Order: sequence, then structure tokens, then C-alpha cells
Amino acid sequence: MPRAALYIAGRLAGALATIAVGALVVFFVMRAASGDPALAVLGENATPEAVAAFRAKHHLDAPLVAQFLIWLAGMLRGDFGLSLTIAGGIPIAQLMAARLPITAFVGLYAVVIAVLISLIMGTIAALRRGRAVDTVATSVAVLGISMPDFWLSYVLVFALALGWKLFPAYGFTSPVDSLAGALYSGFLPALAIAAPMAAVFARMLRTSLLETASREYVVVARSLGFSKPFIFRQYVFRNALIPYVTVIGLQIRYLLGGVVVIERIFGIQGLGSLAVDAAFARDYPTVQACTVVFLGIVLLVNVVVDLVCVALDPRRTL
Amino acid sequence: MSGKRDFAIHRRTVLGAAAAAAAAGVAPPWLARPASAAAGTLRAGITGYNVINTLDPGKHSLIPESYLIWAMFNSLLKFNARMEVVPDLAESFAAKDSTTLSFKLRKGVKFHDGSEMTADDVKFTIERLLDPALASSNKGKVSEVKEVRVVDPHTVEIVTKQAFAPLMAFLTNARTGTQIVPRKVVQAVGNDAFGKQPVGTGAYKLKAWKPGESVTLAAHEGYFVAGQPSMATIEVPLIAEESSGVTALKGGQIDLTSTAPFADIPTLEQDKTLKVLKQPGMNCRFIAVNHRKPPFDDVHFRRAVSMAFDRNAMVKVVLFGEGVPAHGLIPPSLAYAYEGKARATSVFNAERAKAELAKSKYAKEKINVPILTWGSSWWKRIIEVFALQVNQTLGTNFTVEVNEANTVYARQKSGDFQGSVWGWLGLVDPDEYVGEVLSTKGWRNFYGYSNPKVDALAEQGRAELDMAKRGALYKQAEDIAIEEAAVLPCFTSNIHNLMTIKVQGFTQLPYSNFGDQFASIKMG
Amino acid sequence: MRPDAASALGGRRGARLLRSFLGNATAVIGASITLLVLLAASFGAVLMPYGPNEADFLNILSPPSLAHPFGTDSFGRDVLTRVLYGARVSLVVSAAGVALAACVGTSVGMVSAYKGGYADLVLMRFADLLFAFPAFVLALFLMVVLGFGTVNVSVAIALTYFPIFARLSRNMTLLLREEPYVQAARLMAQPTPRILVREILPNIAAPLIVQATIGVAFGIIIEAGLSFLGVGVQPPTPSLGVIMADGREYFQRGPWVLTLTGLAISIALLGLNLFGDGLRDLMDPRLRQRAGQ
Repeated sequence: MPRAALYIAGRLAGALATIAVGALVVFFVMRAASGDPALAVLGENATPEAVAAFRAKHHLDAPLVAQFLIWLAGMLRGDFGLSLTIAGGIPIAQLMAARLPITAFVGLYAVVIAVLISLIMGTIAALRRGRAVDTVATSVAVLGISMPDFWLSYVLVFALALGWKLFPAYGFTSPVDSLAGALYSGFLPALAIAAPMAAVFARMLRTSLLETASREYVVVARSLGFSKPFIFRQYVFRNALIPYVTVIGLQIRYLLGGVVVIERIFGIQGLGSLAVDAAFARDYPTVQACTVVFLGIVLLVNVVVDLVCVALDPRRTL
Repeated sequence: MSGKRDFAIHRRTVLGAAAAAAAAGVAPPWLARPASAAAGTLRAGITGYNVINTLDPGKHSLIPESYLIWAMFNSLLKFNARMEVVPDLAESFAAKDSTTLSFKLRKGVKFHDGSEMTADDVKFTIERLLDPALASSNKGKVSEVKEVRVVDPHTVEIVTKQAFAPLMAFLTNARTGTQIVPRKVVQAVGNDAFGKQPVGTGAYKLKAWKPGESVTLAAHEGYFVAGQPSMATIEVPLIAEESSGVTALKGGQIDLTSTAPFADIPTLEQDKTLKVLKQPGMNCRFIAVNHRKPPFDDVHFRRAVSMAFDRNAMVKVVLFGEGVPAHGLIPPSLAYAYEGKARATSVFNAERAKAELAKSKYAKEKINVPILTWGSSWWKRIIEVFALQVNQTLGTNFTVEVNEANTVYARQKSGDFQGSVWGWLGLVDPDEYVGEVLSTKGWRNFYGYSNPKVDALAEQGRAELDMAKRGALYKQAEDIAIEEAAVLPCFTSNIHNLMTIKVQGFTQLPYSNFGDQFASIKMG
Repeated sequence: MRPDAASALGGRRGARLLRSFLGNATAVIGASITLLVLLAASFGAVLMPYGPNEADFLNILSPPSLAHPFGTDSFGRDVLTRVLYGARVSLVVSAAGVALAACVGTSVGMVSAYKGGYADLVLMRFADLLFAFPAFVLALFLMVVLGFGTVNVSVAIALTYFPIFARLSRNMTLLLREEPYVQAARLMAQPTPRILVREILPNIAAPLIVQATIGVAFGIIIEAGLSFLGVGVQPPTPSLGVIMADGREYFQRGPWVLTLTGLAISIALLGLNLFGDGLRDLMDPRLRQRAGQ
């Protein structure tokens, strides 16, 4: 499909432009912040010569524009450079490679939990609209987005880990090391991350199911005498999934960056924590790399979500 | 320390009696390498930190880096449980004259790569620190060294430019950077690579390192102390949040922590499944005041403020009782130089404080003074309590200004501040407090305090090798400086290690040691 | 549309809205909780016998009691008093941020849509860029650059919400631009600002208000998160995040500080969110239609 290919190519080109501008903005904004990476690495005992040597070695004494060009040239070669202050001298690509599967796993885990909860809650609430079940489900959903997620984490740790000792209170096994371990140790954080998402998803699903159910084609199908379950499956549910999937796609930003506090609480070494630690330690190249990766992932997910929506919607093609 | 004392006996403070017996005396090399019985895994969490940039002793500067370097390296000397300097890689040492220390090295000490440690490695280690190309943060520890002479493969002499008493403390396996590194390996791989794959003589060697996450150590089979180490593997997760460390310990995810939050100590001490080790640490927390700017340019104002807050209340509220009030900079663990008694200007006295304020240039106005601090933790609490009390006593308007620790340090250095909380951690020689913070040319004196008498006493202290006499000089210097409220000392906080009751053989030292005890640790 | 006609129509519409509002249980419950929270935040602290920074070093971390219903914190301060004060601080910080985002975002979005061209392209790309960046990380980056403190938290919240308001108002303005009454105004050569403010703004205000209500709720969570990490509002000023950060540090010893403060936040935000939901139901014509079924 050349049209589809053209569409995707156009979207990707736009994404690349956004990433480039984003990297540029973050670069100059971060440099505007006070603070010196040399101090972070060399400590309080550092001699002025040691500081000067560090700055020279990492081109920190070059003009800003030159520094940006050096970085950009590296990027174009696919080289993220070396970390300055939070894992001094280690290739950032290596840090990313270690963190990405963790963030992906925890994010996916949370999304799966949230989708499971929301599918059940949202569907029941919509089918039993106005009844007690609906009211309860809707209220729980609203409560879900009203609780600060990091607070929920503490409550979960307090009750399920320290109280009943069902789950580890701290620490996360990377899925690269052990999938079962990751599923077990990641449950509480995934649940805490999933709670507000499940709430958003369930509300969206309920609204969109109700809305679709009142659409003309559903009314027509009903008048044609199709069975209720058939109509629900074939017409209502399928079409209601479009906004639902879109909302899931939007959560990628939350999964990348919104869960930093939860990562801290459970000791999960995710990408968000990496970005934040790097920003505080003035690890400029790592901040840059995180920016690029974040924007890349978010924009990629946007494209994927659009494609899924097109696939779900019989009326649309690219 | 008397100059001619000779330490022929190496005594490790090992709790396991059998291991102690085996290690007592100078173990012959063949006995030092038994068929290893190292087994099992210890999970020793570094809490409160998660950044490790290098494991090269020469290059390192951060506390968590020290924690691990201590496990993988040894220095010529080390501190014993009473904070006396005793031999480690050296078998014995003696002062040949006032500027020359002579070290007899242990024979048969092996680096992790199997090669033998010799006097040449000692020479290389110290000369490397001095080399501008390394740009080491620890250069200051050996900057008084004039020459390192290799007498024979197991004898080395270190010559200083002048009599320099702190050198012995600086050659210990503490936060000194003088841990012995192998010349051959460092020269073969280069400085940067060595920091990522360190090779030392310590009981453990590096096995794996996940940046920002964890470090794994494996037993060094050829370690020179018989019967050590006893754990096959030590996993060291890096836990940024202290409170998460407690959670992890209680939840059974780790066996040992490097720190603990003050507030939790009473409850943790009640817990029968845990052990809490604590003692006043080698630290001083003080309010740094800028003598070059109003209002702290006035000695009366400084004195007034110093007497306007209650250090006991501060210990109670900020540390939940986990510490002792300070009346000088030198902490209790440096017993020979520690002035235990309160000094007149470092105790709370509202009457005298107001009287001093009345004498100052700033008696008439209600002064706004921002005091710098950082963090979400107790560093902020110090200033909150300080400002609250001073304002209550003197009617001033001291406020809390929070920045990042880096920024606070940079602003102190450039003199862009009026008052700020500060503290040094793990300084092992009194000269680092008096000579470096309080004397006019001291590099840690960012405050513009200057008194020729203090300078002279610090100078004498550096040259005095007799510990008792040295201590007296520093006490005298502190008397003068505190009377002028050069800085406002607050307290010395306790250091803590938490562990499950199974962990045996961890001896806590006041400089907040950690990895150096891995050698003797056992799981009961 | 002349102003008087608009207001008359607005009046009738208002009355109808109020009637259906009262018939909507969610909105009423939400509004009641929100009102209660606003009252408590505004006047509750005055009624308390303690000051928010009144330290009592003899009563550190004492558990909830009659004298201190939420217990005391690590300085011996009354937690309930601080929560009441903190709610006000958090609310103001969040509302200021959202208001700023709404003003700037809406103006930009409307002008951008109405004018079109390169300005539209650039502004919307900028909004997209901000929108593509994880919100909390963006806020943290900003705190690093701007420095910690109350005002900067508001700025961070504003920057997070700016793209949402910009997009929303742009999309709706695009739809309205072709409406007959807008075209008419244009033909009558009315100046653009006047058309935007008089004709378009009133007609896109409803969804923006809904968004703002929910935005304030999320803004409070962002404030709490930032202050929780110690980079937001600075002590001794109590904000909900500051109180929780303190509570977290002493969680083992005094779990009530974190637990009860979090509970209070959850209830307050529950009110705001229910209120926002109710408003949305009322203002969405399709949903309103079905509600009348």
C-alpha cells in the first residue's frame, strides 16, 4: 500500500523533526541551569586542576554551540556518548539497554492489569447503566484517579508486603534475569501504576460503549433483530474500542515519566528515574539521550495507536 | 603516637573466635590461602546513594565508591576498632626520622590477578596520586610527600617535605584514596578502564556492576588473611532512599545496610530479628557563616546567634536523639583531640545571646538572613530548627533557602552566601578540621575566618608526632575559634548499620565504614 | 450576536443547566465535597487551636488523638492543621498553574486556529513537543532549571497543561470558524480579537472549564509528587506534598502522617473529579440527550 507507506513515512519524518527540536531545546535549557557536573563527580575535595581536567576531557569548556554539534554528530553516528556523572564513563547506550526492558516490562505489566480491570469494570458499568453496580464501579474509577499513586504504593507496601508478607517490599528483578521473578517482584508497583490508568480506561470504555450503543447503525442492527450479544460484540464493542485504544496510547507518557516516584519507592531502575537522576547530577549527555528516547517512544506509540485505530474502524483507511 | 613505636603484631578485630585465632599474629603466606570455605551470598545494601562512577581508589570521591573500594583494596595501614592506626598491607612501620616513615610490607600478598604486591606498587600508587595527569580528588592526602623510596621489594620509605603527622591517617584504608593499586595492571589498561575493572588486594573482587543498580563482588581466594573471606558472593544493591533500605531489610530483601534513618532507630532497636549498630560518627555538622558579609562579619552577632539555639533540642528534633551536641568541629571519635566539655559560646543562653546582640552593629534592625540548605532530609531540618530557635530568641528573621547540595557548595566556595548548613564526613585527622577549615589558608575555609593564633597552633599540630601533645594543640585552637564563633557547630550524628541477626563479624568504625568489614563477615 | 441577546440566552441556558445539574447525582456529590474542601481549606485552619508551624518538640510524631486528630509530625506540629493550610497552598499553586495554562494555551490555540499559516504550524509543533514529553519528567527538568520553590511549581504545572488547552481550543475554534455567526461577524469587519473573545470564546468555554476542573485535580497530584521528591514547595510552608514527604521520611515510626494526608488528598480530589465529570456530562450535548432518555 503506497499510500500507507507514504503516510507512515510522513509521520516518521515529522517525529524526527520533533525529536531534533526537542533535543535542541533540552540541551540549551539544561545548560542554563546552574550546577557543575565536575563537582558531582569529583566531590568536595576536588582541586581546581582536577575540575579543569574533567571539563576539558568532556568538552564542557567548549562553546555551547560547538558542544551541541559534537553531540549531534555523535547521535548521527548512532553514538549516545558516555555518561558524565551518574555512571561516569559508561556508554549511555549500555545504560539504556539495561533500563529499557525494565521500563517496557513494568509499563506493559501495568497496562495489562489496567486493561483487565477496566474491561471488566467498564463493560459491566455500561451494561448495567444507572444501577448500583454502575455507581460503585464509576465511583471506584473516580477514586482511582484521585489517589496519588505514590501514596497508594506506600499503602500497598504497608499492607501486602510488610503486613501480610505476600510480596517483596522492595527490589525488582529485571525480566532479563528472571521472568517469574519480574512478575512477582513487579506486581505491587505495577498495581500502583495500574490503578489510576485502570480508572481512566474504565471511564473511557463506559462512556464510549454508551455512546456507541446509541449510534444509528446499532439501532438499525437492533431493529433487524440481531441477537443482543452479537450486536454488542460486533458493533458496539468493536467501535467503542477506538477511543479506548487511543487513551491507552496516551498513557505512554505517564509510564515513561510519571512513575518516577514509584520507581524510587520500589527500587525499579526505569528510564524515568535515569532521566531525573541525570538531570539532578547534570549528566548532560544522559539527559539528552533520555530526551531523544522518550520523544522517540512517545511518537512511535502515537503512530502505532493510529494504525490500530484504523484497523479497528471499518470505515477508515489510510 | 610515639614515633618509634613498632607494630609487629597484626590484630584484626574479628568476632568469630576461630577466625580471630587463625588470623592472629603474622600468618605465613601458605596458611593465608586455605582451601577456601567461602560459600553463600550476603546482600549488603548501600542505602542513601545510587551513584558509583569509578572504583579506582585514586580517582574516587563519592561515599558509596569508598564503601566498595574498601572491600576490594587494602592500604598500608588501617584503623582498628579504637581508631588507632595499625598495619594492614604493611607488616610493621616506624618513623625513621621526623620526615621519613619506613614500612615493612607483608610477604605473599596477592592482587586479584594473582600477581604479588611489592614496594614498587606502593611507590606507583602514591606517585600516581601526585601525577597531575590523574587529576585526583585525593591528591591533597599525599601532597606533603616529597619522595617514595623502594629499599627492597618489601621495604618502602615515604619522605615528606616537613614533619607531617596526618600522613599516617592518610595511608589507611579509609576515605583516603591511598589504597594500593597494581602498577602493571593500571599501566596496561589505563586509568579509565581500571576504574571499571579494579584489581586490588582486598578480600573481594569485582564480579558484576550494573550502573545505578547494583554491584556484585566475589571472594578473592588468594586473600592474605587466613580463613577470610567467608562469603562466596556479596551483592550490593544501590538503594537511593534510606527509608526503602529499611523496608528492604524488614521485608527480607537485604541482610545489611550502610545507613539508617534516625527516626526509625528506636523502633528498629525493638525488633528482635534485627541488630542495630550505632555510635557517634566521624562527622561535624555546623552552620557556616560568611565573615566577609553582614551580619556575620560582626563577632558579637555571631556569638549571639551561636548562643541563641539549643543544640540539645536540635539533636532531639533533627536526629531523634541519635547524636551528641558539638562544641567544636573535631568529633568524639578522634578522642585525643576531642574537647568533650561545652564551650561558653556554644551553649544555649538566651540572656547572654541578647546581651551580645545588643553589643553588635545589628542590634537595632530586624535582620533578614537566608540560610542555605538542601535536600528533603534532615539537612533541611537542621536549618528549620536553627532558624526557628534563633528567631524566637533574638527576634531576627532567619529563613530557610533550599537549593541542591552542589549549588550550596558552589555558593559557599564563591562566597555568595550569608549562612549555610555544612558538614564534613569521614575526615580522619584533626588537621583536616582545624588546619583546613579554621586556619586562614585552609582550603576548606570558605568563610574568611582568620586568626594568626589558630594558624600557628594548626602549624604546630601538623608537625607534632606525639598524639597527646597534638591533641592539646588542636583543642587550644578550637577554644579560640569557637569563642569567636568562627563557625557554629551543631552536633555529631550517630552512624548506623542495620543487619539481620544472622550477620556476624561486622565491626562498625566511626568513619562509617562498610566494605572493609566484608572480609570478616559471616552468616550465622 | 449582540451582547444583550447573548446574555439573555445565556441566562435561560444557565437556568436549564442548573436544573439538570441538580438532577445529576455525581455532579451534586462532587460539588458538595468540593465546596466542603474549599470551606475547610479557607476557614478550617483558623478554627484550629494550632498554627501550621507551631512546633512542639515534646510531642514529636505522636499518634492520632482527640487533641491531634491526624497526630503530630516530626516537629510535633499538628498534622490536621497543616493539612488544612497545605490544602490551601496546594490548591492555589495548582489553580494558578492551570489558570496560567488555560489563559495562555487558549489564547494561543484560538489565535493559531483562526489565523492559520506558519504561526499555527510553529505554535502547534511547540505544543506537540511539550505534549510528547512525559509530564512529570518535564516538570522535574523545569524544577532543576528554574530552581525549587512554590512559584516554579505553578510554572511547571502550567507548562504541562499548556499544550492540552492549546490543542483543545484550537480544534474547537477550527470547527467554529466556519459557523454562520462567526462568518457574519467577520463580514461585518469586526476586529479579530473582538470576534475571538465575543463570538468564539463563550462557545468553547464549557469543555475548557471541565478540563480546568480536572486539571486542578491533577495539578495537585503533580505538586504533591514534586514536593514529595523535595523539589517543590519548600518548608516550612506546608503543602500537601511537603506534608507527605515529611510523612514518608518518618513512615516507619509515624505512618499516620502519610496515610491520613494521602486519604485527605484522595477525598478532596474525588470531589473535584466527580464535579468535573458531572459538568462534562451536562455540557456534552449527546450525553445530555441520553441522560434525558
